[in-house]
Amino acid sequence: MAFLEARHLHKTYRLGRQNLVHALRGADIAIEAGEMVGIMGPSGCGKSTLMHILGLLHAPDDTDPPASLVIGGTDVADLSDRERTKMRAERMGFVFQAFNLVPTLTAIENVALPAEYAGRRRSDAMKAAAESLDWVGLADRADHRPTELSGGQQQRVAVARALVTQPDLMLADEPTGNLDSESTNEVLDLLRRFNTERQQTILMVTHDPRVGEACGRIVEMLDGRITNGQAG
Amino acid sequence: MYVVRILRNLTRRRFRTALTVVGITIGIWVLVVMSSMANRISFIVDGGSTYYQDKIIVSDATNPAFGLGSTPMPLSVADQIANVPGVAVVVPEVQLLLDSNEAGGGGFGLPDFIVGGVADADQGREALQVRAAQGRLMTPDDEGAMVVVLGADLARKFGKRAGDSMELRQVEFEVIGVLEPTLTGPDTFAFVPLQAAQALLAADAPILATAGLGADQLISQATVYPEAGVDTEDLADAIEASVAQVGTLTGTDFDREITSATEIFNAIVVGIGLISLVVGGLSVINTMAMSVAERTREIGIKRAIGATRGRIMREIVIEAASIGLLGGLLGLGLGAVVVTVANELGRDSGNILFQLTAPTAVVALVFATVLGAVAGLLPAWNAARLDPVQALRYE
Repeated sequence: MAFLEARHLHKTYRLGRQNLVHALRGADIAIEAGEMVGIMGPSGCGKSTLMHILGLLHAPDDTDPPASLVIGGTDVADLSDRERTKMRAERMGFVFQAFNLVPTLTAIENVALPAEYAGRRRSDAMKAAAESLDWVGLADRADHRPTELSGGQQQRVAVARALVTQPDLMLADEPTGNLDSESTNEVLDLLRRFNTERQQTILMVTHDPRVGEACGRIVEMLDGRITNGQAG
Repeated sequence: MYVVRILRNLTRRRFRTALTVVGITIGIWVLVVMSSMANRISFIVDGGSTYYQDKIIVSDATNPAFGLGSTPMPLSVADQIANVPGVAVVVPEVQLLLDSNEAGGGGFGLPDFIVGGVADADQGREALQVRAAQGRLMTPDDEGAMVVVLGADLARKFGKRAGDSMELRQVEFEVIGVLEPTLTGPDTFAFVPLQAAQALLAADAPILATAGLGADQLISQATVYPEAGVDTEDLADAIEASVAQVGTLTGTDFDREITSATEIFNAIVVGIGLISLVVGGLSVINTMAMSVAERTREIGIKRAIGATRGRIMREIVIEAASIGLLGGLLGLGLGAVVVTVANELGRDSGNILFQLTAPTAVVALVFATVLGAVAGLLPAWNAARLDPVQALRYE
């Protein structure tokens, strides 16, 4: 069995009273541990929705046949909000397009958050955060606030934050969407390095073909379905 | 530290935080000042309540206000009372308003009184014992002399010390002692020998009221101490039944008439404070609701990377509670300043209006903090319910 296996994923959003959006129409995907997978496709194809479900931010719709989602041997399709939150803290790492650091916290405090949410003592979390910042080459910026960092630096802090718990799965939603080409390369190099040196499993949503090239495999989506074949 | 990190949020919108804190500060300030006033009143009333326990004040039945007996009655009434079974000691007394123009209780709290009686006539039965801060106490040998022992507030009000001379109702007296503060009745009393007070009473009373009696046959009230085991209420009834034209006041009467009145007053006073706090609480709700709206994205991130709903709620509630605590501390400080200054200003005129007690201070702080926390609950709940994905999209 693959590290991550999802079948029959449907997701319908209600935008207005009469306006239903079928973001996912039966997506199946499997990802092996240590893979770096890019999800590509046009706007509205459902790639972000897929990512939100795989990242346990949303639950798939109740359908027949029922959706199944297994991550690291755990069936996570029917978890409660509380259980999904716990799993996000302990086993997932997130990087967003807009960096999304907490502005009142220093770089190292931001990085430490997921470890604290996962239940580690603050001193342990801060120690792990210092290591994680060192990995992304920003140990000397530990006590800076986000506003004192460049966009590229902020995104590297976000990567450090995603990695601080050494998660099973790292999810990145357009991680280079707000970056110039130099910073894009820096962040991509980082992600690739973690993938090759630490076998970090990474799932990345992107528009950018150059970013896609950095991935070991591309999953293409259209109209809520995955259109290219499933790799093992 | 966890809380310190949460408190950094207070500095994000300093002006708004400051305004909200000021709202709470004003509320707590009003509550502290009002409660201190209520404390003071309760204290005086409790003092009176204690004073009137286990004794009966007998005065002329036509007296308008109990305990403030200044209508003359014959000294012979004291002998009639003494003959009532169950009476242990009768102390004939004269009680006069110090300022004959004062309509009775013109100021706040207890009015200034001249109290005349033969020293030690109570034969050691009076529970409220006074001590001299300067000079000495009255003795039975002072009868016939024009001497006065001043209560602490009176001495301060008129700037008199032991050895000074002083006019009471245009009559010259020598101050032989000043009492230590008791924080109740005696502080505003001028104690004089019975004969001296009788002379003042006779000079003040209309001719008809004296019924042709000499000054030495006039008193205005008698304090009756019952024998051990005798019920004061029953004895009071017996005195009214067997002695013509007298009224009695007991501790129960005092409590009934005064306590209910002060309770209503205290409820009004505290109510005003609470209303101002409700306004402060609403402003905390408003502030925290705006904060949550502004931080929607940030809350989304925290939820996404693993913060539980409870944790999000806790952070908002702690932030709101600290606004409350901050306002509480400032309000308490401001209230303490106002109370202290007002008491110092009023001290010379004997108007001590406020009494800020430790329980009042603690209640004010706890109340402010809890108010903030409760006001934070609704915004916190809204924050915790946010869908992380939608919150992350929020611009």
